[in-house]
Parts: sequence; C-alpha cells; structure tokens
Amino acid sequence: MPFQHTQSRSPRGPRRLASAALVVVAALLTQSGTVRAQAPANPATPTPPTAAAATAQAPTSAPAPAAPGGAAENAPSAADTRALDEQTQDLKKQVVDLNRDLFVLEEELLYPANTQVAVFVSMDVGTFFALDSVELKIDQKEVANYLYTPREVEALMKGGVQRLYVGNLKVGSHELVAFFTGKGPNDRDYKRGASIRFDKGIGAKYLELKINDRQRRLQPEFEIKDWE
Amino acid sequence: MRAVNKFVPSVLALTLLVAGVTARGADYPLMSRAAPDFALRAFAGDNVRLSEHRGEVVVLVFWSSRCHTCGAQLEALNRSYATYHSAGLQMYGISVDDDERHASDFVASYRVGFQMLDDPQKEVGRLYQVDRLPMVVMIDRSGIVRAAREDFDSASRVPYLRELKRLLDQ
Repeated sequence: MPFQHTQSRSPRGPRRLASAALVVVAALLTQSGTVRAQAPANPATPTPPTAAAATAQAPTSAPAPAAPGGAAENAPSAADTRALDEQTQDLKKQVVDLNRDLFVLEEELLYPANTQVAVFVSMDVGTFFALDSVELKIDQKEVANYLYTPREVEALMKGGVQRLYVGNLKVGSHELVAFFTGKGPNDRDYKRGASIRFDKGIGAKYLELKINDRQRRLQPEFEIKDWE
Repeated sequence: MRAVNKFVPSVLALTLLVAGVTARGADYPLMSRAAPDFALRAFAGDNVRLSEHRGEVVVLVFWSSRCHTCGAQLEALNRSYATYHSAGLQMYGISVDDDERHASDFVASYRVGFQMLDDPQKEVGRLYQVDRLPMVVMIDRSGIVRAAREDFDSASRVPYLRELKRLLDQ
C-alpha cells in the first residue's frame, strides 16, 4: 500500500515543480516586459506599472516626475479606467450580438421554415378572465403546459404576445386544441377549450390564441387565429 | 473492552453518515450552476416562477408531510425569513407529497410567512435532485446554486445562517 502511494505520487512531484517553474518564468517575463515598457518613458524614476502603462498609452501627456506626485498618477489612471470600461462595454455588446446570432442560427436549424409551427398567446382587456394556465395539444399530444404568474398576465394585458410553443410538423392537416384555466366572472374557477383544424403547407405556420372579453355576454372569449 | 471495540466501527460509520448527510457540498450536481427555472402553483396565492426572483437570494425548502423533521425546520427557517426578507431574501417551501390533501393539512398546521408551493408531479424535485428530506437549496442573487443542505438539527443552523448572510451581503 505505501509503495503504491509513493508510486502514484512520484510522477506528480516533478510535474508540479515544472508547472511552478513555468508560472515563475511567466511572471518574470511579464515583469521584464513591464520594465522594458516603462524604461523609455521614465528611465530615472521607477513608477508603478499602472502609471507607466498609462504614460505609454498617452504619449502627449507630461512625464510623471514633472507633475506633482498624486495628481499626475490619478489623472492617467482615471483615463485608463474609462478606456477599460469602454472595452468592457464593447466586449459585452459583442457577446450579446454573438448570442443573438447563435439564437437565430439555432432556431433556423431546429425549426426550419418548411416544418415550423409557432403558437402565440395574446390577451385583450381580461376583465372577465384571470389567466392561470394554458395547455396545448397538437394532434392529441400535449406539447405545452404553461403556468402564468401575475407578472406574466400583466404583461399580456399590456399588449404583450407570448410565444407559447414552437415545433415542427409535417405538411398536411392537423388539429390544435388549447385549454385555458383561470378565474372567470365572479371569481369562479373557469376552464374553457378552443380548437382549430389547420393545414400545414410548405411555409412556416403561425397560430394565435386570443383571449378577449365579450362585453355583451360579460364572458371571456377564446379564439384561435390562423395567420396565413 | 471487546464490547467497546465492537461498537467503534458502527459509531464511526454513523458519524461519517451524518457528516456526509449534513451538507451536500461539492457533490451536489447543481452546485455553482444556474438554478433550473420552474413555475408552480401555490397552496394559497399566486403562481410562482423562480426566474422572476433574479436579484434576490432564494431559499427553496423541499418538504413532505411524512417527513418528521420538516415541520420544525420550516418553523426555524420562517424565523430567518422574517428577519432577512426585507434584505432581499425570498423563501419557498415546495411540497413533494403524493397526496395533495395531506400536504394541504400540513401547510395549514404550520403557519409560515413564506409561500408554500405544490409539486404534485415532483418535476421540480427531480430537477433539483432531491433524494432526502428536508432539503434546502440556496440560490444567490444571480440565480446560481450556492449551497444545499440535507439535514435539520441545531448544529446545522449556524452554517446555514452564515451562508445566508454571505449571500445576502453579495
């Protein structure tokens, strides 16, 4: 057992040493690089690396020893921070753009236009119905079951449209059934269904589940709209 | 002496078991990962979606009416909730009971300030890999799982509160 222990440890020792040595060499190289960078800017007085780097970046500014101590160091560092901030913002923007491109690419790959079916939910007024959940079935198979929070309902009531489901369907005739659960008039539990038969062609198919208030009957109305 | 020696391995095993159970640290698969989002119905009140609480420290407490220590733990956690809620702490008790009626009775018998959610299909329990009750999962303000504990005793309260304060200070 002890033999195995030493056997397993022995190769790690030199590796650790080697990696430690590499780290030290890298640190030394970095330091020497910094020293070289600051040497032409200010050979006489050694300044902190940040100030030196800032001086190298802004060649028009006065040399460090000429300016009174702290103020000279503060001014370039503030500019440095601003530049770094701009760089960070730029990087963030690039990441967001890349993320958007990836999202679009993923959508195109997963749901090609010729098989894509998307179902949206919208709500108008909502006085007679407080939405709790929507269950969606396509060809008698449950594809989505979404539970709504008050914030989400509020967003829908403000005119927001939610993409509830996106999937693929083959060309032909299909049936979509949606069940809406929530509180109806007089705060009673309310469950209603709506269905539609639609033909899926070559292009993408968009369907909208609309929840409206029917003022005359003082009841909510559930409608499925087929966007051609 | 022989009798004492006989008990030593079992005591040691028990100690190790308890030590392993108290805190699911690095072995918890969701540790340092984004907390899986979910939406659940509450026993009383509005539906809850986890992602709507980004920016708050969220503590999820998984319980069942058949778990003996769960009630005491909920009461103890309720004290920390009452203290730190104003500092950005959000707490949810999640029932993984099979019988909804038992769960409702349990909720009625333990009056706590935070919302109790119903997970009848145990989907959220599976998402969070709950294999022991009670279980507490702590999520930081950016939605990352930072701690998971699978026990309840007086000794576990101190590390829990320490972790909670650390998360709230972030």
